[in-house]
Amino acid sequence: MLHQNARSIVRASRPVGFASALLATTLLSSPAVYAQGDKTGIDPETWTAEYVTSIAGTETVDTAAECAQVTPLDYEGKVSYWYYGPTEASPELEHEMYDAFFATFAETYPNIELDAQNIGYNDLLNKLRTAALGNAAPMVARLPILWGAEFASKGQLMELKPEDVGYPTSDFWPGAMKSVTLNGKVWGIPTNNETMAFIWNAGIFEEAGLDPEKAPDTWDDVVAYSKQIKENTGKSGYGLVARVNAGNTPFRFMPMMWGEGGGALDEAEAEPTLQEIQINTPGARKAVQNYYDMYVRDKSVPISALTNTQTENQDPFLANQLAMVIAHPSEYATMLDRANQATGSDKEAAMKVVENMRYGKIPKGAETRAVVFGGGNVHIMNPDNVEGEMDLEAAKALICFMAGPEWSTKIAWVSSNPGNTRGFKTEWMKERLDTIKFLDVSTSMLPSGIPFPVVAESTEIMNIIIPEMLQQVLTEQMSVEEATADAEQRIQGLLDGI
Amino acid sequence: MNDTVANGPEPDSDRPAGRRARPGLLARIWAGRWDYMYIAPALIVMLLVIAYPIYYTVVLSFFKTPPSLAMSDRIFVGMDNYVTLLKSKNFHQVTINTFVWTVWSTFFAVVLGFGAALVLNREFIGRGILRGVLLIPYVISAVAASYVWRWIYHSDFGVLGSILFRMGFIEDKLNLLDNVDRVLPALIVVNVWKEFPFAMIMILAGLQTVPEQLLRAARVDGASPLNQFLHVTLPHLKGVLIITVLLLFVANLNHFTIPWIMTGGGPAGASDIWITQIYQIAFGRIRFGIASAYSVILFIVMVVIGYFYVKALTAGDDRRRPS
Repeated sequence: MLHQNARSIVRASRPVGFASALLATTLLSSPAVYAQGDKTGIDPETWTAEYVTSIAGTETVDTAAECAQVTPLDYEGKVSYWYYGPTEASPELEHEMYDAFFATFAETYPNIELDAQNIGYNDLLNKLRTAALGNAAPMVARLPILWGAEFASKGQLMELKPEDVGYPTSDFWPGAMKSVTLNGKVWGIPTNNETMAFIWNAGIFEEAGLDPEKAPDTWDDVVAYSKQIKENTGKSGYGLVARVNAGNTPFRFMPMMWGEGGGALDEAEAEPTLQEIQINTPGARKAVQNYYDMYVRDKSVPISALTNTQTENQDPFLANQLAMVIAHPSEYATMLDRANQATGSDKEAAMKVVENMRYGKIPKGAETRAVVFGGGNVHIMNPDNVEGEMDLEAAKALICFMAGPEWSTKIAWVSSNPGNTRGFKTEWMKERLDTIKFLDVSTSMLPSGIPFPVVAESTEIMNIIIPEMLQQVLTEQMSVEEATADAEQRIQGLLDGI
Repeated sequence: MNDTVANGPEPDSDRPAGRRARPGLLARIWAGRWDYMYIAPALIVMLLVIAYPIYYTVVLSFFKTPPSLAMSDRIFVGMDNYVTLLKSKNFHQVTINTFVWTVWSTFFAVVLGFGAALVLNREFIGRGILRGVLLIPYVISAVAASYVWRWIYHSDFGVLGSILFRMGFIEDKLNLLDNVDRVLPALIVVNVWKEFPFAMIMILAGLQTVPEQLLRAARVDGASPLNQFLHVTLPHLKGVLIITVLLLFVANLNHFTIPWIMTGGGPAGASDIWITQIYQIAFGRIRFGIASAYSVILFIVMVVIGYFYVKALTAGDDRRRPS
């Protein structure tokens, strides 16, 4: 039933997908991209869109048999688990995949009692921090890629490497493994990894006199396109997001900053030390200036950008009032779901927008093309911080199940990619490629991915200092130079332990 | 309940006639031992859930707790957190925001509540329905109300902006929540809308206790309606008004939901108040030490207000106490 639903998301525009794949292959062979492959550990020469397609469906997986080697299938125990799963804004298919995961786990391990709580992305971090401090944390937690470092540095995680649940480390992206490595120790296992893509409305592009099938190639193009769209149609050009305390903001701003040659620390360098601050460099200032130009000078983006997250951008995009956004591969499925929920003439208009959706690579800056290497990792909390007694065998059974090639592919069905690279060889990956529109485009951005710096202070830098820097500029409380200097000072203070 | 307490001890022979000696503190506690027993469970719970957290917050305020360190590895810094806080530019801005938010929210909620109470104190058809309608904002969940108002105010697709635009009052989009100068007044409007029914109910209850014979006497003496209000009604409401103002002041000083949900303290900190800042420092930046110092400052302010509140509550008792 699940797969039938997956098939319902049809590849409506094969020529565009094919063209994008060709474009992806061409770009992947550029020297700049080779350099970025070093950061993620993904060899762009190998991981082309064609390669991904060619290996899909070449391996059969028996998850129960693999996990039985870690924890016997008749094991009796209990495991508590917190995760950030599908929300009301997620496509129906994602809900079904999660339901299927829990149902299959219960069938495979009938004697393990699983207490799973889906806690929203915006609440999970604070809730887990508080729970860990009060020794009331769950045994297992799946967290976004950025968060684990803080818990590891505080000693609130157990060491956990792929071999502990039966998988070799070489099955995972080296870049992703970096995100779970702190002080030379491994604290978790990647479950899914993804990069976002650039999405535009071909209808608005045409209305504004732009080539409807061509994405802006550079960030300067984005600024210019946004202005042209506003002037010629009265609609918002780029879906700028600058809310404080929302992960959406750095996920959309950092690609521009890295592209123009800046960074929060030196995370975009080939050999990052994570001690050098690059937020007050010409490249970083150029990126902030781009935001200023769109928001203040051209007024070509939504005014509500300072209070918006990407979720709030979905409405104007679907209402044909916003032309360009950066989002996950799942955005197409989400828009399709939402359009299907509309009625009458609204539905017709929304379906037209979905039909006009195009996916392209994230634009490049003066230096390079970059995107956040995102995803999630699963961790076992330190038994001292867990409510009740830790059941390690049950925890490992759950982790083996979700980090294996089958479920790391299925759980990531619409919004990400399998963290376990064997997932790319499964029949389910083949089905995804056959049925999910634009998946090839977002997957081909993986070699351009840069992980956020793995330091305990990362969350504050990305979710607070950088968005506040942007808000100071966009509200004209500070100039670009003042704001970047202020951010540099704050990050320095943070690294100095002030 | 106890004769000793009720009647007092025998007067000392060397005291002036007519004055009784007050029993000692221990004697009074012993005399009221059963009363203390009855409230002991509540006191113990309060000690656990209020006194201990306050004590722990004060202790934490003397430590540095960087996000990279476990709480057990916290570093003692003495008064450094307080000094850092009081010297920071941000603290001054947030303090100004807090007082603007608190004072104006309280003022307008009381004024609006007073007006509504005066109307509802009169007999007219539909009074019961109107009273119910006016209570709606107070009973709606603050979270739900914040989300609704966020959409009413939305800078691009807000209902308010759309109506004003269609009526020709504005020529461009209405930017309230994304503008540093307008965001706080916009939030105060929401807060007043949410809180004025509380003031209305309190004052209405007070109005219904104003003795009719006093008002009649004033009318007989030729007092105008304004003079009746100023010289009879208002003095009679003094106690209720003071308590309402103090309760609203405290509630506003602690109000978290509306600013946090609607703006998260933004843009650029323009709607950040003490309580949102404390939350942000503690849970966003994981600086429990400095957040605790912030909380202690807020606590001291609350204690001062609490003192006046208790004084206002017991003012009548003092007047009634026999000399």
